[in-house]
Amino acid sequence: MKYFSVEYISIFAGFILLLIGLWGIISQKNILKIIISFSIIDTSIHLILVSVGYIKNRTAPIIDGPVTRADAAQQVTDPVPQALVLTAIVIGVGITALMLSYALKLYEKNKSLEIDKYKSLKW
Amino acid sequence: MVSPIYIIAVLLGIAFLLGLFKQPGANFVRFAAVITLAFPVFVSVGWLIHFIIDPAEPFMVYTAGALPPFSINLKMGLEEAFMTSAVNVLGFFGFIYLYKTLKAQGEKAVVLFLVLIMGLNVVIMTRDIFNLFVFLEISSIALIGMIFFKRDLNSFSAGFKYLIAVTVISSFLLIGIGFIYYLGGTLNIDDFIANNNGLTRGLSTAVFLVLIAVLLELKPFPANGWALDVYQAAHPGINAIISAGTATAALFAVYKLLPFGGDLWLNIAVIIGLITFLGSNFLGISQKNANRLLGYSSIGQIGLLLAVMGFSKHLGEHFQMVFFALFISHFLAKAGLFWLSGLIAKDEIKDWAVLRKKPHLLFLFGLFVFTLIGFPPFPSFYGKWQLVMDLASNYNYWWIGLILLGSIFEGVYLFRWLGYAMKLEPEEGSSIKLDWEKIIPIAVFGLLIFLASYFTNEIFPSNFNINLIPVYFVLFLFVIDFLPAYIKNTIAIAGMGFYAYYIYPDIEQDTLRLVFAGIFLLGGILTMFAGYSVKGRRPGFFPFAIMMYAGLIGLVEAENLFQFFFAWELMTLGSYILIIRGKKSILHAYNYMLFSLGGAYMIFMGIALAYNGHTSISLEMLQTASFPGWAYTLLALGFLTKTAALGFHIWLPGAHAEAESDVSPMVSGILLKGGVFGLLVLFMAMGGEQAGEHPLLYALGWLGAITALGGNLMAVFQEDAKRLLAYSSVGNLGYILFAFAFMTNIGWLTGLTYSINHFLFKTLLFLAIGGVVWRVKTHNMYEMGGLIKRMPWSFIAVLIGIITLAGIPPLSGYAGKWLFYNAVITKGWYFQGAIVFFAGTIAFLYCFKLIYSIFLGQPKDKFRKVKEAPIWYLIPQFILMIGIMVFSARPDLILKPIGDLLSQSAYFPTDPLSWENVTASTNLGYWSGYKIMLVIGGMFVVLLAWLMIMSRKAKNVKQFNIVYAGERPFTPETTHYSHNMFAPFNKALGFLTTPVVTDFWNGVNDTSHAFADSFRKIYTGNGQTYIAHILAYIVIVYLILL
Repeated sequence: MKYFSVEYISIFAGFILLLIGLWGIISQKNILKIIISFSIIDTSIHLILVSVGYIKNRTAPIIDGPVTRADAAQQVTDPVPQALVLTAIVIGVGITALMLSYALKLYEKNKSLEIDKYKSLKW
Repeated sequence: MVSPIYIIAVLLGIAFLLGLFKQPGANFVRFAAVITLAFPVFVSVGWLIHFIIDPAEPFMVYTAGALPPFSINLKMGLEEAFMTSAVNVLGFFGFIYLYKTLKAQGEKAVVLFLVLIMGLNVVIMTRDIFNLFVFLEISSIALIGMIFFKRDLNSFSAGFKYLIAVTVISSFLLIGIGFIYYLGGTLNIDDFIANNNGLTRGLSTAVFLVLIAVLLELKPFPANGWALDVYQAAHPGINAIISAGTATAALFAVYKLLPFGGDLWLNIAVIIGLITFLGSNFLGISQKNANRLLGYSSIGQIGLLLAVMGFSKHLGEHFQMVFFALFISHFLAKAGLFWLSGLIAKDEIKDWAVLRKKPHLLFLFGLFVFTLIGFPPFPSFYGKWQLVMDLASNYNYWWIGLILLGSIFEGVYLFRWLGYAMKLEPEEGSSIKLDWEKIIPIAVFGLLIFLASYFTNEIFPSNFNINLIPVYFVLFLFVIDFLPAYIKNTIAIAGMGFYAYYIYPDIEQDTLRLVFAGIFLLGGILTMFAGYSVKGRRPGFFPFAIMMYAGLIGLVEAENLFQFFFAWELMTLGSYILIIRGKKSILHAYNYMLFSLGGAYMIFMGIALAYNGHTSISLEMLQTASFPGWAYTLLALGFLTKTAALGFHIWLPGAHAEAESDVSPMVSGILLKGGVFGLLVLFMAMGGEQAGEHPLLYALGWLGAITALGGNLMAVFQEDAKRLLAYSSVGNLGYILFAFAFMTNIGWLTGLTYSINHFLFKTLLFLAIGGVVWRVKTHNMYEMGGLIKRMPWSFIAVLIGIITLAGIPPLSGYAGKWLFYNAVITKGWYFQGAIVFFAGTIAFLYCFKLIYSIFLGQPKDKFRKVKEAPIWYLIPQFILMIGIMVFSARPDLILKPIGDLLSQSAYFPTDPLSWENVTASTNLGYWSGYKIMLVIGGMFVVLLAWLMIMSRKAKNVKQFNIVYAGERPFTPETTHYSHNMFAPFNKALGFLTTPVVTDFWNGVNDTSHAFADSFRKIYTGNGQTYIAHILAYIVIVYLILL
């Protein structure tokens, strides 16, 4: 039953989401759908990272109330992956915004969101 | 020293503050940004100087009040100082370049620029892997934001493709980092390397993800379409930053992370790097868009640098300088080229012809191209040499082969491009807008190349010991290029004269070298005299002419193979530019360059093979060469490309014929002897007469004989006087090769006599014909005729020249013949000898055609008033004729010392020839140049006197006063039979001159272009295809590693 615990489920779900995202990027022709696929990938990575840092039966790494400074090391999960995820979320927002603004500009120029329509540069 | 943390603080702080200004403040914002960008330059260059002067321990910056691995730390050592200096200098000048462009973009663009430079600095300095990821992302976002600048559809779509590709790559990076932390327990790079020696299965997958992701950031072939599209579409100022800046930082990130993977990943870096170098350059050969082509080249160079990192084990203590030399060349040249491209503002490489209107920019373009390819004295030349030598010591021959092959592909497109820029006619009305803010960065980077070259020469091992005096003289001639031609000509001649005087004591004892030094320097001075007839400035001629002569004399002076190769390449560079100066020389100079590059790399490979197991690179090392069969063959083939042996000859006729009048004698009479000298060095290393039965020599003997026949046959059917002489050179070099391949004492003496003769008569003939062409403005012999009356002195020169060429007594050509028969008989190569003999008789045909068509027969109407050739052409001709006369009458003056030297040396102790005053004798017979001269001279005087007495009653008539003939001609053309003169002969033997060799090389050319053209179709332009490439790349590398 080990594999049905929360950390395995979440890491498994994370990889499934990653594959869905990659599939979306390659198969979807609509630029907005591609961007959404990227968001799915972002989420999947966050999920994977958080699961990796999870330690069973421990609480959030916030030193406040029940968790005291002295015994924090025994009570909380690993804080580093969570910090990484926080940073990664910020970066993900930035990237998504940039992608959307590119999508906007492309649409303004060519009135199309089909990625196949933007192949003038090649070889 | 200012702590490097302030680079981040200042750039980030000012970027935030500047963001507060609104549009009216744009001017102030840009100005403040320039000042701000100067600050990191100051900091990092300060550290660089500090570390160069005093190689101290790296400086560490700790953050957050804790020590690593619990906090992020930055490192500033020699390597970091150098890389950040590069990025910051690029940032500063790159910003200046974009100064006006940024005005239209507003203050936000300026902020992006500052953030990008800050991000790159951190990527280089940080020792924390997650921090690395964050700043890679920050700089990518800033960069992709700047791709917006052009605001056209192409830049939007390219930017989007770039963005999604980078995002996919960084997703894998992030997953990898997560698992590295989970399984390795740390995010600190040094900590991880120290504590994870043996990689477990899971950890190695994590390392795989991280490393493959950072390698993909370097745009490895073929998963790099997204980067190529950006190079094509983005503003060239941005491209310069991508190619020289972000690539630099990414390269350094790879450098930091490669130790994660141990030796396995070093090998992967080599494979990925070299595939990229080869593939990218190969696809580049059929690319016509300038920026995209620069993208291909840029990616290729980064691939080579990646491979160098992978080779770090083999390079050992040389790693830093090899990397420095190759990196700095790519960095400076590629930034400069992208900036130039922005100045030209046209897409096609053919449009670069507009550079002809701005010689200074053309000079910079050439400088960047030669730096990239790795010609001396530029840093990459040193870098490639050391890289190849160190690889050779470790038996990595296949890798060397790939590097050299990739370099040839690079040469194919770069020299085609350079040729276009130098020779094509610029489009009507096109011009270059000279914006100073754009010129300054290009010029500064050009200057930095010279500085880097000097520095590279300093840090390379002392036994390389390049004599830089000639190089400085060439630089000096560049500086004074604004002066009139006659002043520069005088300075150049004085310089060569002084140098001859300066090196004479060094080579006085070595007659063989003395002879070649005489041909190169004194011959060079003679040919330079003709230059006095040129009016005006003659821009760019003298530096390159002197560069060629510097290379040639460098060959003679060389004591080790590095010096030899340095001189060889210097000679190639100078002669290439001289040749391309001709009006129709674009294709011929290009062929010359490609054959020279191929030849140079064969020589290089030969040296590398021979070097294995040696520690010295002296010329004597070749005697004990490893893999002698391969090494000697490659060296011989390399030298034969310069002597234009059949098969490698196709560049020669055009290159010599289309060159300027006074350049033809330089490249024909003198330059070809460079290749001959190379062959002599090789043959001596092979062991002189002990190696007489070497199969390579037997093959070369045949090649020489066939070249003699082929060259002479082709010369017969030429209508163009200079082409005739050029083909005759092919034939003559065939004789020379044949004679030296005997590898006997007398064979060598024959070869040297041929070499001296060929120098004398071919320089004489090219000068004489050059003088005629100067006046009549055509090369076609059938358009001339009867010029003997108008140009008697030129006629005498040509007459003496062809008598020498044909080997008719009493002139020195006959000396060569006499020695030749002796040599053939003692060697016993009768069949080949008969072919060469037959070739010699064919030479009579073209000699006759030359003098008859031009000087005899009927003068044409348009040349009735033509003047004698310029005096500056005649003076060297007469000096050469005196030389021929002296050499003919007293051959012992030169041949006896050479013979003594040969028989006293260890190489040719068996000397069948003995001298008694002027008489030479072997057991086959004797010969005295002096007596023959007297006899023939006497006969000549008697016959002349008799003729004059007999014809004293003859009456001078007008040209068409031929009343006794049956019909009366009206035009001179009808009585001067010289077009297609040997038509019947052509019917009989013409099939032998079918251009099979030309067809073969054309086939090679077309096939490789077709392959490159169809293969590059994998870059479909669809962003999703590019993502699929990336994913496939990851999967394939993973499967290979399983």
